[in-house]
Amino acid sequence: MNVLWTWIAAGLTLAIFSFLYKDNPFYKFAEHIYVGSSAAFWFIYLWYFDIKPKLLDAWVMNTGFEKYILIVPAILSVMMLTRFIPQIAWISRWAIAFTVGMGAGLGITGALQGFLVPQVQATMLPLWEPVSSSTLYNLGHSLNNLLLVLGTITAIFYFYFSREHKGGLGVLSKIGITFIMVAFGASFGYTIMARVSLLIGRIYFLFHDWLHLV
Amino acid sequence: MMRRTIPLIITFISGILLVFALFIPHKPFGNLEERFNDWYIIVSGFTMILGMDSLLLHHWNKIRRRQADWFHSAALIVAFAVTLVWGFYSGIKVGNPFDPKSTFLQYFYTYVFVPLQATMFSLLAFFIASAAYRAFRARTLNATLLLVAAVVVMLGRVPKGSGASVVLFGIALVALAVGLVLHGRSLVDLRGQLLAYGGAALSILAIIPIAKYFPTYLPAVADWIMNIPQLAAKRGIFIGIALGGIAMSLRIILGIERTYLK
Repeated sequence: MNVLWTWIAAGLTLAIFSFLYKDNPFYKFAEHIYVGSSAAFWFIYLWYFDIKPKLLDAWVMNTGFEKYILIVPAILSVMMLTRFIPQIAWISRWAIAFTVGMGAGLGITGALQGFLVPQVQATMLPLWEPVSSSTLYNLGHSLNNLLLVLGTITAIFYFYFSREHKGGLGVLSKIGITFIMVAFGASFGYTIMARVSLLIGRIYFLFHDWLHLV
Repeated sequence: MMRRTIPLIITFISGILLVFALFIPHKPFGNLEERFNDWYIIVSGFTMILGMDSLLLHHWNKIRRRQADWFHSAALIVAFAVTLVWGFYSGIKVGNPFDPKSTFLQYFYTYVFVPLQATMFSLLAFFIASAAYRAFRARTLNATLLLVAAVVVMLGRVPKGSGASVVLFGIALVALAVGLVLHGRSLVDLRGQLLAYGGAALSILAIIPIAKYFPTYLPAVADWIMNIPQLAAKRGIFIGIALGGIAMSLRIILGIERTYLK
């Protein structure tokens, strides 16, 4: 049984790799299989990890207010499906409005709690911090702190477009773009390594699990 | 009223209640964020049905009209149906299709979904390489910084990268020296020639410290790039994103931004 499945996996892998030559029917076939099975897979995932435990199981397990309040998301969910009936499709706007409002509310609280406050807090570093008995180490450590503060502030200045980047603002934005370029280069290198490790995994699968050559 | 005003009121109330819940962590707002978050997940889960309908309808129409590549659309619909039926069948049989005992996880996920997804993403390794060829030309200081940071991070993250880095940077420095010498020969003024030849000599001399220190310190340099300049710029970008996100969310809650009602 596993041999058959390994051959199927190898066939799909090779069909996708065939795109490196050019767009061809084998690639298109595998691509369509991927899209179709992914859509169904993520729906099953959503059903078993989100909708079922948070709505159906919660309805069975809870009592009183905690149980009946679940009618609200259930009604909103049904409202979302009214888009299938053109005459009453406008009702879905109510459910969309709820998700948009929720998204906006979570956008504010999430941005404040997850991004703004922690990032600003982490950037408030002492510019001279003796953490060791070695002066050279302290100097290096403090220089790193200084670079972190300078890089963060100047990167923000680079994205300030309300005034022309001339004079002092021009100097700050130039320093900012220098940091941003290093960051993009590092992120690019990091992404390449992640993709290459996936590629190595697939090639290892073909040579080890399928062909038994390594 | 029903089609525009009520949705705007719903958006305002659901958004503003969450903001209140952040600043008033007591009843009745205390667990509001958690409750609303659950509701949000449920309702947005149902939007997936709309997406699936759109996908299937598009491909069904392609089959019906016998458009080009219609049999690929048929493959998509069959793959969708088989996955859905298999997933729910496994779910009914063992309780959850993501249970290690379910055939859905053992066969479909391991031998179909993972190979397709991993191979699709691994293709990007090739396209990133070709994009890098175009983007990483050391023509300006910023492009050079991008190139050096990417190369150092890549080489610093692999076991044999430190050794390879000496060869790569050595070749780059020799190429730079040759380029400077050729450039110096084409110049007529003595000062320019001296600068070009001096630069070439420095490039050759720089090979010695690179050969001596890179194999030992390259992983540490890669870590430093990730932890200091990269983190600093990322923090600046994150703070900008957070401020922009808050401004946009306020526009939506206050009803200034209404494009979602179109």
